[in-house]
Amino acid sequence: MIGRWKSGAAISAALLVAVCSGTASGHEAEQAGGRGGVFRDVETENIFGFTEGASIGVEGEKEVSLTTEARLGKSAGRYFGSESKLGFEYTPNQFVQIEFGPFFSAHNISGVPDIDDRRQLGIGGFFGEIKTILLERSGNSPLALALSAEPNWRRLDETSGERVNNVELELKLQGDVELVAKRLFFGFNLLYEPEATHDPERVGGGWVQESKAGISGALSYQIMPGVLVGAEAWYLRHYDGAWLNEFTGDAVYVGPTIFVHLARQVHLSASWNTQVTGRDMEDPDAKLNLAEFSRHRAKVKLAVEF
Amino acid sequence: MRWISLATTIAFAVALGAPAAHAQQTANLSVSVKNHRFQPAELHAPANVPIVITIKNLDSTQMEFESTTLRVEKVIGGNGQAAVRIRPLAPGRYEFYDDFNQQADGVLVVR
Repeated sequence: MIGRWKSGAAISAALLVAVCSGTASGHEAEQAGGRGGVFRDVETENIFGFTEGASIGVEGEKEVSLTTEARLGKSAGRYFGSESKLGFEYTPNQFVQIEFGPFFSAHNISGVPDIDDRRQLGIGGFFGEIKTILLERSGNSPLALALSAEPNWRRLDETSGERVNNVELELKLQGDVELVAKRLFFGFNLLYEPEATHDPERVGGGWVQESKAGISGALSYQIMPGVLVGAEAWYLRHYDGAWLNEFTGDAVYVGPTIFVHLARQVHLSASWNTQVTGRDMEDPDAKLNLAEFSRHRAKVKLAVEF
Repeated sequence: MRWISLATTIAFAVALGAPAAHAQQTANLSVSVKNHRFQPAELHAPANVPIVITIKNLDSTQMEFESTTLRVEKVIGGNGQAAVRIRPLAPGRYEFYDDFNQQADGVLVVR
């Protein structure tokens, strides 16, 4: 099992190195990135990994993206679950950005306690997002703030892949600070995510409500025009009840991030988070919380603007 | 009936007056692009008023006026012109450039 994770981590590291070295080949890469060798102002939305920056697109901009968020590893057995969002994003004015689309779920699970074995791929549900600028960076304020609301409807459970009826609302306060002009950025998020799940046959006890809260911090450094590397940390808490009613456990994740402008209107971002500590209220001896959170999680986004 | 007439009069006055008042408060700026360079390369505008920048492309090739911080982009054909409307801004420096030709740089200084 450990060998498999090491292989996975090695492959991920190799991919990141390949992306970096591919882009680090100097002038050609700068031309490919469309930056002309010049450090420009940075759109911070996608440079911090799971942490989202406060910027939005330029007015009238449209974007199509594929964003995959994967969760890997539980306390035993083999666990892989992912959701891939096919998003259409539009910025109608200089204050608001909207995005919506379907997402696809993939699960490969065997021998995990309390979760049925499953290998499946299917349409997981639909999502929407609206994001609005609260405070923009200016000569008076190095801080930028935005608020986003992302409703999700799922027909396949995010963790187990079971057929369900699930609604979730992800609310995020997104902030970032330009620490060194055009080079070094600090980002942070505050998360509140209530959700309710019902089995489709309605044989259960009704809607089961739960919620998640979290805070993150991330640094991202532009090492060359259009290429930013960094690291982020997340602290997540899980509760029974939609209003953070009963604390059931928490987890701390840390990991690297990368953002690359592949072409003038194409960018790729990736991040890998590993759980380094966690608490499970039902298992006080556990050093990690692998009941409610995964051992690792990864995010890859490829976006094309037009 | 008199109230309806009064209300209609006020509504018309507001409708006609609002754009005039708005126009007075808008900062109208102009910049040209020649030989892939902005002229002038530095624009000035007052803080907290809407801004309209008219861009005249004097080159024969297309250009794209773009700014991440102003959150605008506009493709302008060769020997063409276009205007971009920008929200009221806080004091600061807001860079813009030609996304089709990265040598062209400019800055909007808001005070």
